[in-house]
Amino acid sequence: MPQGVEVRVLITIFTLSLMTLLPGSSLARPPAPEIAEVSGTIRGGEARVHFTLRNAFTPEMVEALKSGIEITFKTTVEVERVYRNWFNRTMGAVEYTRSVRYDALSRVYRLHRDDGDELLPDVLAALDRMTRFEVVVPVTGGVEKGKRYRARVYARLDKVGLTEPLRSIFFFSSLWDVETDWARGDLKTP
Amino acid sequence: MTAPPVGQISPSPGEDPAKRRRERWAIGIVAFLVAFLTIFEAHLAAVGGAVAFSSNIVIFALINLNVIFVVLLIFLVTRNVFKILLDRRRNLLGAKLRSRLVLIFICFSLIPTMLLFIAATSITTTSIKSWIGGRVGQALTGALEIAQDRLEAEARALSPVAESAAAGLTAIVDASSFPRVLESARSLAPAGTALLFFEKDAEVARDGEVSPAVREEVLKRIKAMKGDGAGKETLIGDEFAAAWRRTPGGVIVVAVRSLPPAEAARIREIARAYDEYHQVRLLDDPIRASYVGILILITLLIVFAASWMGIYLARQITVPVQLLAEGTEEVARGNLDVSLDYRSRDEFGTLVASFNRMTADLKAMKGNLEETNASLTQTYDELRRRTQFIETILHSISTGVIVIDRHGRIAMINKVAERLLRIPTDGALGRMYRDVLREEHYEAIRDLYREAGETAKGQVERQVELVVGEKRIAFRVSLTALHDDAGEYMGLVAAFDDLSQAMRLQRVLAWREVARRIAHDIRNPLTPIQLSTERMSRKYAAAHAEDPAFAECTQAILSEVNTLKNLVDEFTRFARMPVPRRVEGDLREEIRTVVDTYRTSHPGIRWEYRQEGPPRVWFDPFQIRRAVTNLLDNAAAALGERGSVAVTCTHDETARKARIEVADDGPGIPSGDRDRLFEPYFSRREGGTGLGLAIVSAIANDHGGTVRMRDNTPRGSVFEMEFPTGPPLERNIGSTAPGIDDGRTGS
Repeated sequence: MPQGVEVRVLITIFTLSLMTLLPGSSLARPPAPEIAEVSGTIRGGEARVHFTLRNAFTPEMVEALKSGIEITFKTTVEVERVYRNWFNRTMGAVEYTRSVRYDALSRVYRLHRDDGDELLPDVLAALDRMTRFEVVVPVTGGVEKGKRYRARVYARLDKVGLTEPLRSIFFFSSLWDVETDWARGDLKTP
Repeated sequence: MTAPPVGQISPSPGEDPAKRRRERWAIGIVAFLVAFLTIFEAHLAAVGGAVAFSSNIVIFALINLNVIFVVLLIFLVTRNVFKILLDRRRNLLGAKLRSRLVLIFICFSLIPTMLLFIAATSITTTSIKSWIGGRVGQALTGALEIAQDRLEAEARALSPVAESAAAGLTAIVDASSFPRVLESARSLAPAGTALLFFEKDAEVARDGEVSPAVREEVLKRIKAMKGDGAGKETLIGDEFAAAWRRTPGGVIVVAVRSLPPAEAARIREIARAYDEYHQVRLLDDPIRASYVGILILITLLIVFAASWMGIYLARQITVPVQLLAEGTEEVARGNLDVSLDYRSRDEFGTLVASFNRMTADLKAMKGNLEETNASLTQTYDELRRRTQFIETILHSISTGVIVIDRHGRIAMINKVAERLLRIPTDGALGRMYRDVLREEHYEAIRDLYREAGETAKGQVERQVELVVGEKRIAFRVSLTALHDDAGEYMGLVAAFDDLSQAMRLQRVLAWREVARRIAHDIRNPLTPIQLSTERMSRKYAAAHAEDPAFAECTQAILSEVNTLKNLVDEFTRFARMPVPRRVEGDLREEIRTVVDTYRTSHPGIRWEYRQEGPPRVWFDPFQIRRAVTNLLDNAAAALGERGSVAVTCTHDETARKARIEVADDGPGIPSGDRDRLFEPYFSRREGGTGLGLAIVSAIANDHGGTVRMRDNTPRGSVFEMEFPTGPPLERNIGSTAPGIDDGRTGS
């Protein structure tokens, strides 16, 4: 057998073996998460952006939340000036983190935001708080009335807090992989 | 890559040892990196606080790098296994042993590893199931509920305190009565209870010590229950229990009691265990899959590491064995320049080093042997040259020599001795001389040996007549006993000289003298006799005219006188053979002239003439022509004008001798006449003088050559005359001596 053929056969065997043997994502993917209802206003040196995160929590994630697993989402919000015949200009951007964890002893959901913590009495309130966002984005440059401004929002699951033994166990695998596409919404000017 | 020296055998011809070493290093480094990265990533996971694949690029990169290294390790190991299988299929030397060893190693590692894998998987699954499916969950839930009940009870115990304080605060009319309210409430509170007063989400008063974290937690919890928490007026946390009341004026009164640190820690531990249990229960399948995946990865690593180790160990064993086999094959083919390129500190290294040393020693020994052989060959050649020289001398001399060793075996014998004594030419050497020689000859030698033993020098020389064939031949036998320096007997040397030739020569010389005297003594009276007879005839012829007897007598006298004169002339020519005056000339043409003369004069005989060799040689034309004439004359006389004569003139370039052969198909010469054939006055023809062959012999002798006679095939006789053809100055002095070959040879 020629040397080249030998190498190719070997590589093929390796590839197939690895595809079979290597651990992949062991859990089913959730429905496609998305950012919706992006809106807001822009005035002065800031933009206030509202948006909703949909399909971010699968039933498994809700059950995990009830079991005390901390779930963290990180969102990226960018504000840009939209030009019709030119490239858009980013006026400001901010990364915003929000996490939630159930305290079984106190029977409350502890919500952590960059701008402060909050205790929520039940899971519905916690999910509502985790999926409705109002983010303030500092912007540079003046805001002109009548011009078009737009917010771009992107969110992804950042961390899944597990207890110590599980943290080591799931080191080589991912529980969930939640990531949205970039969503856009116009901002109102004063 | 540097080519190995000629004769050096390296592991796996065609495969670069440096490349193999690099591959080995690569496998080692990759395996180390895999282990290191695994440990490092595990450490990062332990301190990272969360599983964060998407955000933690470093860990993600490290894991991918680790996977790449694992793949590389598997690739390298599998490549080696694949290569071994190919080598085995190609029937390379050592491939079967190597593949067998690798298979054994893999089996020895695979079987226990697989058993361990199955057992570990089963145990892990069973453990997880038993943990999450048993009473652990109930116990943990119960523990948590007990803790909650405990805290709730504590909080309920504080409710009267909060109630009292709130009522007092509602009924208070001025600020001075606030201490009484506190005192009244505190009288109901357990030790360690603090009272907190909030208004509009801010603390407005506090009685007692409580940590800020507890105060903040309490405020958050109350705020969280603003909407629907009206009916629930107790709060519990992992380090406190509280009860609260809202006054109609909007002031929130909280009675809170912090738990002792040890109790708070126990409660936190219970809560953590509860969370962990539920997480495990929720992630049952992924956990088991993760464990199995890790076990598979570890199993694969063990299997491939064991395989690589097997390959490595097999190579450690088979490479030197293969090298030794190839080296032995080379040595068996005679290549002692072979050197095995293998270094190791183990027994194989010692074995290979010993092999190299052995081949080097063999090479040195071979070199010594070759030198010794060359020396022996040189010595042997010298001995052989000397022996050939001695044999040449022995064969060139006219004396027969027999050398007999101490055991009575013939150690050396020359052709002359074989011919003189008629000894069979083959097989005489090495045989006992009494078995080779005739009994008479053996006895003669024995007698002489005894006689020599009685002399001081051990040497004796005698003239002995021995019967050879049917003739008695006179020999001068010289016998010498040989002794070494120590006086030990080594054998004897017997030399035989045929005296018959010398005696014949003496007879020839005597005949020449006789002929000279006869010619002198007879020639002198013949002239007076002739003159007197002629005078008497003239004077008395008339007187005796009537008597015819007178005329007849005088005529007879004159005739006989003429005959005597001719005879005397022949005698004179024989007695006074001139010294040959050799000049350079064409021998072949001289002989052709004579043959043509006889072809003309004897047309009834078929004359053939064949010539070879250089046209010009040194000879006496007159004498050679005469000798050839005598030989052709004898041949013609023997044939009687009917038959054929073949004359051949050849030249031996090596010996620089001319040979003239005259062969006829006549009646031949009886063996009894052959001894005297070349003696003067021996003639088998009526009227012959008997000087023709004597003159031929004399001419051949004077030319330093010989003449001999032998039988022709199928009939007739052949006369061979042979003489040197060099210039006179180069003539060997010894060649003037008669060339005596046998009894049929004349000189």
